[in-house]
Amino acid sequence: MAAGEFFGEVGSIAGRWIKKTLRRPPFLFFSLVQPIVWFVLFTAAFAKIADIPGFASTTGTTSYLTFFSGAVIIQTVLASAMQSGVGFVTDMESGFLDKLKVAPIHRSSILLGKLLSDGARILLQTTVILILAFALGVGIATGLLGLVLLFGIALGFGIAWSGISTFIALTTRNSESTLMISLLTTFPLLFLSTAVMPKALLQDSVRSIAVYNPITYIADGLHGLIITPALDWSVVGFAFLIIAAVGFVTLSATTTMFRRTVSA
Amino acid sequence: MTAQSIASVSKPQSSTVAASTGRTQGDAIIQVQDLAKIFDPDIRAVDGISFAVRRGEIFGFLGPNGAGKTTTIKVITTLIKKTSGSAIVDGINVDKDPAAIRKIIGYAAQEVGIDDELTGRENLRLQSALYHLPKGEREERISELLKAIDLEDAADRRAGTYSGGMRKRLDLAMALIPHPKVLFLDEPTTGLDPQNRAAVWEYIRGLNEQGMTIFLTTQYMEEADRLADRLCIIDHGHIMAEGTPASLKGSIGADVVTLAFKANGVANPNAAAKVALARILGIREIQEVDGGIAVYAQDAPALVQQIVLALNDAHLDIAELTLTHPTLDDVFMKYTGRKMRAEEVTPQRRTPWGARRRRPM
Repeated sequence: MAAGEFFGEVGSIAGRWIKKTLRRPPFLFFSLVQPIVWFVLFTAAFAKIADIPGFASTTGTTSYLTFFSGAVIIQTVLASAMQSGVGFVTDMESGFLDKLKVAPIHRSSILLGKLLSDGARILLQTTVILILAFALGVGIATGLLGLVLLFGIALGFGIAWSGISTFIALTTRNSESTLMISLLTTFPLLFLSTAVMPKALLQDSVRSIAVYNPITYIADGLHGLIITPALDWSVVGFAFLIIAAVGFVTLSATTTMFRRTVSA
Repeated sequence: MTAQSIASVSKPQSSTVAASTGRTQGDAIIQVQDLAKIFDPDIRAVDGISFAVRRGEIFGFLGPNGAGKTTTIKVITTLIKKTSGSAIVDGINVDKDPAAIRKIIGYAAQEVGIDDELTGRENLRLQSALYHLPKGEREERISELLKAIDLEDAADRRAGTYSGGMRKRLDLAMALIPHPKVLFLDEPTTGLDPQNRAAVWEYIRGLNEQGMTIFLTTQYMEEADRLADRLCIIDHGHIMAEGTPASLKGSIGADVVTLAFKANGVANPNAAAKVALARILGIREIQEVDGGIAVYAQDAPALVQQIVLALNDAHLDIAELTLTHPTLDDVFMKYTGRKMRAEEVTPQRRTPWGARRRRPM
């Protein structure tokens, strides 16, 4: 089959997921209402964190809101990635996956189309958060290049992380288990990272865990891009390295499981 | 519903395909030989079946739930791998080139595989893209099918709002998008009301008249009787009988009187009844079936009185007596010893935690 056919298949499948996502009321909630709630609640409750000695000197900003913007992006991307596997479970239960399997398409386009739609969703959600952040007075210190890199981190991180829920979905074939396991594995990681609290202010025990937590490096990358005017390539580069490593593990596991699912 | 111009089967191509793939046996479009599928741990869903479907016919698989109908269809449509045996569709072996088979078949599963969050039209659009229909032809094909299945008015509503009958019809249209050479329908009318069922029957017949080969499974005797040119009766993974509906009914060659008895002290009423009826002239055969006995006779109405009297003499109380001219129900009973009951399909139970059991595919 020609390459054009393959891209057509991936595009059609991605288009299907995007259409479905946009029609779902929970999507609006998760991508619009929830970031607002996070911004308003957390920054109101924790605004004083910025006054703690060491906050400004280690983070480079005197605004918790600015610091927190990175966490909102991570949280939204995490929530989004957690759900992405559920789509496969629904398709298995409804028999739609069989319909795709019996169609004369490359079976890899089923998985790629889904990942592509996840990516598109994450870009959309990140855009919404950034618009909100701008409206609240948060700027991107590293300018346009920083903005592009920020989108890159959000996208890469989201796709790499969605591999986890997709893997669980294909393994358990149960949407409740998928959501539950994804939730249990991701949310604690958010708070055991530097996403919501600068490294210097973390409790020692948490800090020692945070060092091994991939989300820490994603958060450092985002914080760097948002706060520090001079683009620190080592921090950003490390974030992408972590994304590549996580992505390699989760996506190879997912691909293996997917092959098993469609060949059974 | 009409089937005009829906089934434009590409007959000219088939000869070239056949030539290049070396089709051997006469006009068989599907050939299945000693097919078996064993699921873990040791469930013999299909246990060594052989049959052939002729080009242009409606071929039926009749059997109760769990007989192995869906498993057979899933092997032939390349959805699952067989354990042993062979299956060939239009000269293509399922092992060698499943992708080539997918290009020439249409499949409507028992569970309707449509996307509830898309409209009927969007479902068909997606399907036409996945089957690589030329872009210029897609919309025309879609409106043609929507008209044929009488869904024009609801085409732009989400499929989730459709009734069961509408969903089945949309699913059928999805299977027809690629102009398939062979159409596989797994229980096309299960769960439908009589009116929708009749409409689907008419439509299927219309497709067949246009030249499309149709392989359907059903647990409804009437459906098999009305639609199938030839059929197999399948039970517990085995083919019990094969033939045209008329020849199968003819194989009984007699009317059937089925009897059930009240339990009133007689230890084994069925056995006692067999003894009691043995001396009546004109009875060809007496068979024990579940719930009672079946008495086969050339002219049963003339014998009913004698049967009742003989049973009365043997102190057997009749709970139920039915006299029928042969139906496929009787055929099923004759070959399996059981009455056939159509059961509605119930959705798989979901387990709130942990792994859902793998669907027996």
